[in-house]
This record gives sequence, C-alpha cells and structure tokens, in this order.
Amino acid sequence: MAAPEHTLRPPVRLAAGDADPALRLGALLVAALALALLAATSLGAVKVSVGDWGQAFAAERSGSAQVLWELRLPRALLAAAVGAALGVAGALSQGLFRNPLADPGLLGVTSGAVCAVALVLTVFAAAADGVPADWRPWVLPLAAFAGALGVVALLHQVARWLTPGSVAGLLLTGLALNALTMAVVGLCTYIATDEQLRSLSFWTLGSLAGATWAVAGVLLAAVALALWQGRRLAAALNALALGEAAAAHVGVDVARLRRVLIVAIALLSALAVAWCGLIGFIGLMAPHLVRGAAGADQRLVLPLAALAGALLLLVADTAARLVAIPAEVPVGILTALIGAPAFLLLLRGVARQQGGQA
Amino acid sequence: MTPLLQLQGAALRLGAQAFGPFTLSLGAGECVAIMGPSGAGKSTLLKLMAGERAPATGTVALDGRPLTAWRHAALARRRAVLPQQHAVAFAMAASLVVQLGRFAVEPDAARERITAAALAAAHAGHLAGRRFDTLSGGEQARVQLARTLAQLWDVEGGLLLVDEPLAALDPGLQLELLAVLRDFARQRGHALVAIVHDLNQALGGFERLWLVQQGRLLHDRPADRQALPALAQLLGVRLQAVDGDDGRVGVLVRRAAGAAPAPEPVA
Repeated sequence: MAAPEHTLRPPVRLAAGDADPALRLGALLVAALALALLAATSLGAVKVSVGDWGQAFAAERSGSAQVLWELRLPRALLAAAVGAALGVAGALSQGLFRNPLADPGLLGVTSGAVCAVALVLTVFAAAADGVPADWRPWVLPLAAFAGALGVVALLHQVARWLTPGSVAGLLLTGLALNALTMAVVGLCTYIATDEQLRSLSFWTLGSLAGATWAVAGVLLAAVALALWQGRRLAAALNALALGEAAAAHVGVDVARLRRVLIVAIALLSALAVAWCGLIGFIGLMAPHLVRGAAGADQRLVLPLAALAGALLLLVADTAARLVAIPAEVPVGILTALIGAPAFLLLLRGVARQQGGQA
Repeated sequence: MTPLLQLQGAALRLGAQAFGPFTLSLGAGECVAIMGPSGAGKSTLLKLMAGERAPATGTVALDGRPLTAWRHAALARRRAVLPQQHAVAFAMAASLVVQLGRFAVEPDAARERITAAALAAAHAGHLAGRRFDTLSGGEQARVQLARTLAQLWDVEGGLLLVDEPLAALDPGLQLELLAVLRDFARQRGHALVAIVHDLNQALGGFERLWLVQQGRLLHDRPADRQALPALAQLLGVRLQAVDGDDGRVGVLVRRAAGAAPAPEPVA
C-alpha cells in the first residue's frame, strides 16, 4: 500500500526544497505575467479590439491589428525575455559572489557593452557606415555583445592576476572596469555630434522600442537554454553558499564553476543589453524578491527569478509607454527611479540582518 | 598495507611563515587530536590533509594516490571536513544545508532518508525546517555536523577532518558533539582527525596526539599519561594528572612555575 507509506514520510522534502511556497509563487508569477502581457498589448495610444487578435495570419491587417502584431506583442515578449535574462543573470551573480547585493551591472559587463556601442557610434562611425545596409541592424547589437564579452574576458584575466582565487577581488576588479568603461562612454558623449548623441542616449537610457519578432525569439530561446543549463548549476550554487572551501569539500569543482558562471552571466547580460541598452536593477531585485518569498534554494530561485524579472520589466515598460502618451519614457530611467530606492531598502534589510556590518 | 592518508615531507610557505615538512601516516579508523598553541600551523596542517591547500614540496596521498590526482566528487565520497566557520550566505533551510553534504552523489535516491538520519544523529532533527541563519551558534554547529555526517553516511573507511568547530560552544554541547563524531567514525571505520584545544577532550576522546609548534610536528604519540610532559612543555603550563572514572587520564592545568609573574593586584 503506497498511501500510508507516503503519509508516514517525514516532511523533510517540503522543508528542504520549500516546494510549497515556491509552487504558489510560481503560479502567482505566471498568472501575473499573463495579466501583464494582456495589459501591455491592450493599453496604449491606439485602441486594440478583440477582433485584432484574430488577424495573426491575415494577409492584410487593419491598423490596430498591425499595432498589436507588429509592435506591441513583439515588444511585450522582448520585455519579458530581457527581464527574465536579467533576473537569471542577477541570481547567478548573487550566487557567485555569495552576496545578495551583487548584480551583473557591478561586474562592468553591461557598461562594457554600452562602451563598445558608444565607440562604434562616435569614434568608428565612419567605419560602421561602410557596412552593407542589410547588415546594419546587427552592427550595434554585435558591438554590444563583443564589448560585454571583452569586459568579462579582461575581468577574468585581471582578477586572476591581481587577486587569485578571491571573489571579493573579482567584484572589486569589476567595479574598477565599470568606472573605466563608463568614463569611455562619457568621453564618447563629449565628442559626439547631436545626431550621434541621440542614438547614444538610446543605449545609455535603455529602451525596448526596437523590438522585433526575431530579436524577441532569440532572447526567449537564450533564456530557455540558460534555465535548462541552470538546473545543473543550481546544486553547485547552493553548495557555494557554504563558502568556497566548504563547497570544494563536498565535491564542487569551484574553479570550473566560477568559469561557467562568469561566462553565463556575461552571455545573458550581453544579450539583454545588445538590443535594449542599459536597464538596471531588474537583475538585483528579481532574485531578491523571489528569495524573500520562496527561500534561497537556487534550484527554485533561478526559474522563479526569470519569471519575476520578466514581470518586473514588462510592467515597467508598459508604464514607460503609458505615463506620457504619445511620447514614452526610456524604461531604463523608470527602472532606475524605482530600483534605486528599492536597493537602499534592501541594503537596510541586509545591514540589519548582519548586525549593521553590511 | 597502504595507510589511509600519508604526508611525505609535505611543506608550504604562507607569506613569511613556513609550514612543515610534515611526514605523517594515518591508518584507517584512527582517532587523532591535533594540538598546539595559536598560530602553530594546526589549521594549515588540516588544510593540507583536506586537499584545500597543495603542498609546495612533498606529497599528500589518500589511499596511496596524491590528493591532486583525485576527482572532486570522488574525493568528497572519501573525506569530509567540518569547518571552523559556519556562515551560510543565503537564508537556507537547515535541511537543505545538510543535503549539500550529498552533493557528490548524483543521482542520490537516499538523499532524504540520509538527510533526516544525519540530522537525528547530530540531535538536530527538530531544526530541519528552520532557516539556518536564524539558528543559534550551537544549533548551527549541530546542523553543520549533520551535513558532514551525511557526506560520509553510506561509505566506510573514510576520513573525517574537524577544524576546531566546538571552541565557541558550551562544555556540555562540546562533549556531546564530540561523542557523536567519535561514534559515527567508529561505526563506519572512518579515521577522525580533529583540532582540539581542550586537554581533557583530547586525552579523553582520542587515541593519538599530533603536537604542532611553529609550523613543525613536535610529537606524534599515544594520548596517554606519558604524553603529559610533552603537552605541558608545548602549552607552557603545569599539568597534574587526574584519573578519570572511565579509565582514561585527565588533567588539572596550572600556570608553569617559570611563567611571567601575574600582574600586581590593583590597590
């Protein structure tokens, strides 16, 4: 008889995985995300009717159906995908640094991407003009991607040379590179023409206005892939919370784990920045909110942080489109306006937990 | 017969301080206390044995194979380390912390059963659902002990390394957790090497003493009455033997005769 045996089992599994609150949070996030998608696609300057949803494969779409299928839906999906990528990248960074205040932005990865974009827009503007017209939409995303990866490679080498084996050293190296890349961005801003300045500000302020189905699809696939890989990383990340030495004692190859984490964080944040520019604080807040509600088991935090990040950025982007119709506020400004005070509250919570020694 | 753990002239430098060369041999199921004054190199010796630090010269071999040649997961199935530091970065459930001891076993059908059994063995079954960071120091020590037990729960002839985890706990709890460790090691034939500060714990609970001073091994000898002169010299104290009712020797500790004079009482 299976049933009595089941009831006799000690409640260890629930306590260990916190499966119950996690399941509830997951369901809640999925429902909220569905609602947010509905709101993001229906609200805006142009009214969208129920009939417009039926024109998915119509040869000739009405004006409002075009807005729905060619603007709002890809943009909403891109917002969700970028938010999810930032949420997972944030959760991975916090696990790597064993610090709830870590964020891919702190590694200098995102500013490295913006730095490369700024250089292409200003210093190498003439060279970029020589690119064939078909390839032009990919120039800036590729530059952003190269910039992010460049910073990560540099970060890894410099940190290994300066402070071998120290995660704190890695974090501080990231801070220094962050300052360096932002200084280059500032320099580019200084020498930019008026026109260059406008496209530059798209990247530094962060916006999802450039959404297309192709871009949204690439990002959604990348997030799905990262979560699939993350299932295997999560157990090692949990062990890393014990400290690097103790993680090694229970069998984690810490050096390899660090390498894999760094590359994963770089890829995810580079993908997010490549089409949308700097969008801060999502990577910081999403995992934090999830841990508060469902516990710190990374096997649950990674997928839930993806959902929470998607929801946060989708809501923020919808608000950014709606607050000043017909104009729109860059969503990066909005996330920073809300995220910075939230970060301070988080800092206060952490300081209290550690007896004022954060 | 190959010893369980063999240190062959293992030495390293940390900053200005040199440690070793240590040449030591540990058999299966042996129970050793490492003793010595602060900064003598006890923790460094333990880290060499754990594979946490590689020797600059010489070798450290487990089962006749250098530690550097072991795969991480395979090594974790043979030796566990109970650390001095207990901090866990995030707010994890205590039972999840214990489960981490099973990391190297994948897939692990017995994970939940062993987690529960290890918690019970460390007298921490009631803490399973609690958040680790809300536990008291003593409770955290129990949970970390359970994690270490879970790691070597279903193997035999392994190695348990313990880095003075008990120093901050009250005496009753120290003795209790030490007894749990010893029983666990005896039942499974694990060797147990622990850094111990308390002379009576070392003499009462261990068979062998490694006395360390200034990065060197001074003595490797049985933990019996004849060890008292060496211990007294090592720690700079006077020792008076007391016969315990368990047949083992205990000590009263007094200041050595030649020690620096006590400060004048304030008038």
